[in-house]
Amino acid sequence: MSIFQYFAKRIGLYLVVLFIGLTITFFLPRLMPTNPIDGYISQIESRAGQSLRPEAIAALRSNLEELYGLKGDIFTQYVNYLNRVILHFDFGPSFTNYPEPVSDMIFRALPWTLGLLLVSTIVSWIIGNLIGLVAGYFHNKRSATVLEVVGILLYPIPYYILALTVILVLAYFLPVFPLSPTFPAEGLTFGNAGTILFNSALPAITLVLAGFGWNILSMKSLAYTTKEEPYVTYARLKGTSNWKRMTRYVFRNAMLPQVTALALSLGTIFNGALLTEMLFSYPGVGLLMRTAASSGDYNLLYGSITMSIIAVATAGLIIDLIYPLFDPRIRNR
Amino acid sequence: MIRLNNVVASYKTERGVVNAVDGVSLEIPDGCIVGIAGESGCGKSTLMKVIYGDIGFPLALASGSVDYGFSDDSGKPVTSRNIQKEWFKRISYVPQSSMSSLNPVIRIRKQFLDFQDQTGNKAQILEQVKSYVKKLGLPEESIDSYPHQLSGGMRQRIMIAMATFFQPEIILADEPTTALDVVVQKSILLLLMDLQEQMGNTIILVSHDMGVHYQVTDKMLIMYAAKAVEYGDSEEIFQRPLHPYTRLLINSLPTIGDDRAREGIPGRPPSLWNKLQGCRFADRCPLATDRCRNEEPEFVEYRPGHFAACHYADSEANLSEVS
Repeated sequence: MSIFQYFAKRIGLYLVVLFIGLTITFFLPRLMPTNPIDGYISQIESRAGQSLRPEAIAALRSNLEELYGLKGDIFTQYVNYLNRVILHFDFGPSFTNYPEPVSDMIFRALPWTLGLLLVSTIVSWIIGNLIGLVAGYFHNKRSATVLEVVGILLYPIPYYILALTVILVLAYFLPVFPLSPTFPAEGLTFGNAGTILFNSALPAITLVLAGFGWNILSMKSLAYTTKEEPYVTYARLKGTSNWKRMTRYVFRNAMLPQVTALALSLGTIFNGALLTEMLFSYPGVGLLMRTAASSGDYNLLYGSITMSIIAVATAGLIIDLIYPLFDPRIRNR
Repeated sequence: MIRLNNVVASYKTERGVVNAVDGVSLEIPDGCIVGIAGESGCGKSTLMKVIYGDIGFPLALASGSVDYGFSDDSGKPVTSRNIQKEWFKRISYVPQSSMSSLNPVIRIRKQFLDFQDQTGNKAQILEQVKSYVKKLGLPEESIDSYPHQLSGGMRQRIMIAMATFFQPEIILADEPTTALDVVVQKSILLLLMDLQEQMGNTIILVSHDMGVHYQVTDKMLIMYAAKAVEYGDSEEIFQRPLHPYTRLLINSLPTIGDDRAREGIPGRPPSLWNKLQGCRFADRCPLATDRCRNEEPEFVEYRPGHFAACHYADSEANLSEVS
């Protein structure tokens, strides 16, 4: 299999995953017994009293169905839905922020979420793996065992307890960071990058710590077993320096399963978003989803779920596409 | 000349200390190929580790020493305590399995530059590596490959190229051909012999295969249960072995045209954990007497350059009965 076949296969798989994901998000809400338009119309009717004429209600229903893509039989709806989502990225207007389009709201929130979660996931991956590497490579040194204990202690702590502890320590006992962050309304610019970084530090620290434990423990055991591989022993007998053996021999090989693990953990990134953004009132997609769910904003919920499917699948695709850089056995067969 | 003075090497385990090499004394003259033969667990590989100077927990050099017969840059004689600085410069090592001994994710070219305190112009060294590899019958581009792109025979040639690149005085080869098919085995052994002839270095070769020993080695050491039992010129050993164990080993080799079933040597070597008394081969030896069971035989030179540890090494009974 050549490298192009590898790429073609990954991209093909990516498109299939997206398609299935979009299809499920389309059909799942339609299996619910309630019709959002009935609900909306009855709301308007109760507000207006009995003053609406049946023709007006019928016209309203038809307009709403058009607006929310609920016109025609289910197949027509499906085709229209795919057409709107894929070609125009249009999820209709928001119920709560009518008439602002849902896609605008998502695109405003998405950079916040991606910025926070990508950076903290990758930082936690890098630092966790480096600590795990040292702990595994020098497993017979007492000082390295201390590093492993960090992982063992951090790993089992549930995220919300970890996050609350960090808030308590770093915002209350030692008020280093603000208790509730404030973000400039105009978004990221050169001038306010410092403010944003400072205000994002607390949620970022909790996310890094939460991902830490697992990365340390798994890298430690990987490095420990890789160190016993014949090629590492042979490198030692060749007189290769300790540093080169640890980096070029042990790390380069032990990181491969960890890159795959990074792709998998990027998949769960939006789980983290929901809780983190609620705890820190951080203006990302997680908070948007929560608002949408609690206020019955179907379009917004739809849009943010679809967006997270696309984001997760894309992150996985990117890792798959750069994986051959690390493993020549896939690059040149 | 490499001199082993009463080398005792022990492993520290949870059950206690066990001597895997128990008092081996040898002199290996420069520029010859020495084979080490013996059953699994007889201490061949441990002896190789000691000679290479790869001594670290759980292995320890309990007593004795190894002199390599040369001095380091500061003029101090090299022994097993400071040989590590000479790794791959004056003593090198060919591992058993070339597939798993090369790092799968970096190019062979880079693995050639991984030797200790590599100084000098990288490009220049690479040029030398290229022409050297070519001399060994490999395409120049093979050093730009990753290990998985080469065949087993090519990889083993690469290992030999690495081990001989700096023209070391001593090369240790621990079953260098076991993982290869016989055709490739032969070409690898011929290559090793060829290089040895050109460079005049000493090769110490461990192999289970008595046929390999017969064809390749100048001298042979037979080990049994952590002891050296016979040492001498290979031809002598194959023609006129002194120790009954050697004789039985040679008798178990098949010859073309002789289709009688080959007999193995009944029994197993003694456990090194037991308290051992007398000759360690006595339980399996057809010639053993009470003297063998109680008195340990000395490792003595019976003929010029031909040593053995057997009470009856030169007796007529030994020569005629076990044949």
